[in-house]
Amino acid sequence: MKSLFLRSGAVLACALTLASCGGSGGNLVLGGSVIGLTRDGLVLQNNGANDLTVAANSTSFVFPTLIGNDAGFNVTIKSSPPSAVCTAFNNVGKTGNFDVTTVVIQCVTNTYNLGGTISGLRSSGLVLINGPDRVEIKADANNNFPTTFTMAKVADGSPYGVAVLTQPANQTCTVNGGTGTMGSADIKTLQVVCN
Amino acid sequence: MIFSHYLRPAAILALALSLAACGGKASFPINGTAAGVIYDGLVLSTNGMDLSIPAKATSFSFPNSISYGEVYNVTFKTLPAHQNCTLIDQTTGVDTASDTAGRRAAINVSVTCSLNTATIGGTVAGLTADGLTLTNGSLGGPVTIASGATSYTFPNQVAYGVSYGVTVLTQPTGLTCTVTNPTGVMGDAKVENINVNCVANP
Repeated sequence: MKSLFLRSGAVLACALTLASCGGSGGNLVLGGSVIGLTRDGLVLQNNGANDLTVAANSTSFVFPTLIGNDAGFNVTIKSSPPSAVCTAFNNVGKTGNFDVTTVVIQCVTNTYNLGGTISGLRSSGLVLINGPDRVEIKADANNNFPTTFTMAKVADGSPYGVAVLTQPANQTCTVNGGTGTMGSADIKTLQVVCN
Repeated sequence: MIFSHYLRPAAILALALSLAACGGKASFPINGTAAGVIYDGLVLSTNGMDLSIPAKATSFSFPNSISYGEVYNVTFKTLPAHQNCTLIDQTTGVDTASDTAGRRAAINVSVTCSLNTATIGGTVAGLTADGLTLTNGSLGGPVTIASGATSYTFPNQVAYGVSYGVTVLTQPTGLTCTVTNPTGVMGDAKVENINVNCVANP
């Protein structure tokens, strides 16, 4: 009888202790590394709860709630930053006796087209660049020159600066509105004007 | 017992004979792997041999093998044009240039080459206000240039053969800045003539 009382008391005490530290009752860390996170807005969850906000440019994360030995974990992305897609790797498993620091969250920022119109181009040789990205504007089989151009895609939030690397033969082209910062949509409004 | 007494000397004799048959000492070819060799001109040297490694090669073998216990020490006689190379294995971090033949099962020299890179920048004149940012396309973050600066350099270097184009992303307060020599294709040396001149707005 005495032992039954004691046992119940011990169970109660134990339950109270668990409740006081968030109900998890663990002593193991759950975390990992973060790659490519350039903006705020990443929220992680473990087992569908325990929201954890991870700030821009973080390279690691740790859930504040500790987890128990032999406990199952499943780290998922509740929300990705605007204009980025984050994916979790090594994110499902069961703890043993050691901390889990091997979850990897990789974020890739969306990229958008950068381009615009070309007017007055009559000869070949025009090369447009956006830094290392180089595009030569060539005539088609009927010797017609294109009236639009598209550079390589640019990541949301990155700067761009389109300029003329090589002028076409006997013509001078200028780029209007060639510099700016990429938003969350394609840019088609750059103007290349050749005289 | 009797058998083993007879067998052991016989085995030793057989081993000695087989070694003698192949010249007494094992010989080791000096082989290697190459990565990132884009241009011609790479010549490696070791043990009195020169070996030319052409562009795009992925493996190589020196003409003569060396004997067990002999030391090899591979050096660069010449580098490929526009490139720099290392003999440090890029995966393991081990320097593969020299060792003693036979210390490992086989000799594998690892050469990795990369394009030369250099900075781009220039002078700044008339910058009497803050707010100027320059960008080289979308390569890296833009560069902020403070009021009073007389020169600038982009933190991200540009590799040989790659184009660059510097434009004004944001103008400083009350000023308009223009860039001279804004575009080009990178050579072997750093570029210092992408000059910025700022004048007060009318």
